[in-house]
Amino acid sequence: MKIDHSLPLEYQTEENSNRVLGFWLFLGAEIVLFSTLFAVYFTLWNRTGSGPDGREIFELAPVLAETFLLLTSSFTCGLAVHSMRLGLKKPFMVFFLITLVLGLAFLGVEIFEFVTYVGEGATMQTSAFLSSLFVLLGTHGAHVALGLLWGGGLAIQIAREGFNHGTANKAFIFSLYWHFLDVVWIFIFSFVYLKGLM
Amino acid sequence: MKQLFPIKHVMGYVFSLILSVVALAVVFWDLSFVMGMTILLACAAIQMSVQLFMFMHIGENGTKGALYTNIAYALFVGLVTVFGTLFTMIWGYR
Repeated sequence: MKIDHSLPLEYQTEENSNRVLGFWLFLGAEIVLFSTLFAVYFTLWNRTGSGPDGREIFELAPVLAETFLLLTSSFTCGLAVHSMRLGLKKPFMVFFLITLVLGLAFLGVEIFEFVTYVGEGATMQTSAFLSSLFVLLGTHGAHVALGLLWGGGLAIQIAREGFNHGTANKAFIFSLYWHFLDVVWIFIFSFVYLKGLM
Repeated sequence: MKQLFPIKHVMGYVFSLILSVVALAVVFWDLSFVMGMTILLACAAIQMSVQLFMFMHIGENGTKGALYTNIAYALFVGLVTVFGTLFTMIWGYR
């Protein structure tokens, strides 16, 4: 196996480098997936039927909390990868677990928000606007939930094995996924919530 | 301790918080639709770049030409999907 020591651990073998490239290709497909959901939302956002519109149900406080939680978890995820490159396992574990806890808190606020909407009579079946809203937010939330399971498994593996070509590569790829979810959230925050409240 | 918080990451984080607050201005200030959307689009685009270049290290790999091409292509397809949908379903043509 050819190992290039001039690169960070996660790129050193050709297989690892290809895995990172492959994950970027997947993220390209994810960009298109979320674009279709945004396109549906932008088409249907004012088709509220007899249900409430965005201005009536959106609340700024939980949305700001979600934004802050996800931005911070993206930051700590970046710090975790930085510690990994320095070869420091303990700081990595700390930053990585903070990332997952913040992700869990994000998901908690989002679920609370959904429950509030449904309590106000704004369910997925109420109007085309709410269908497209729940599908867009739900797809993002499902990605975060999947990321938490993935990150949890990864944390156990790295706690057990430390950093090697395999685990470093997985941690780096997880960080790409996590930062990507933050980018998607920025667009939801701007073009669903802020635009809706404008 | 200091080496755990590289200045590039801290700056990226502070910058993305500032951009979120700037974007928030559209809710509190009485802006026209075009002005508001311009602010939102600019902030979102810059935030995306912060994540891409500062946190995701897109430019550091040996395959960066392929990465930029892939992301540019995905963004192109995404934008065509969104604006093509708006064009056919909302704006129309005459």
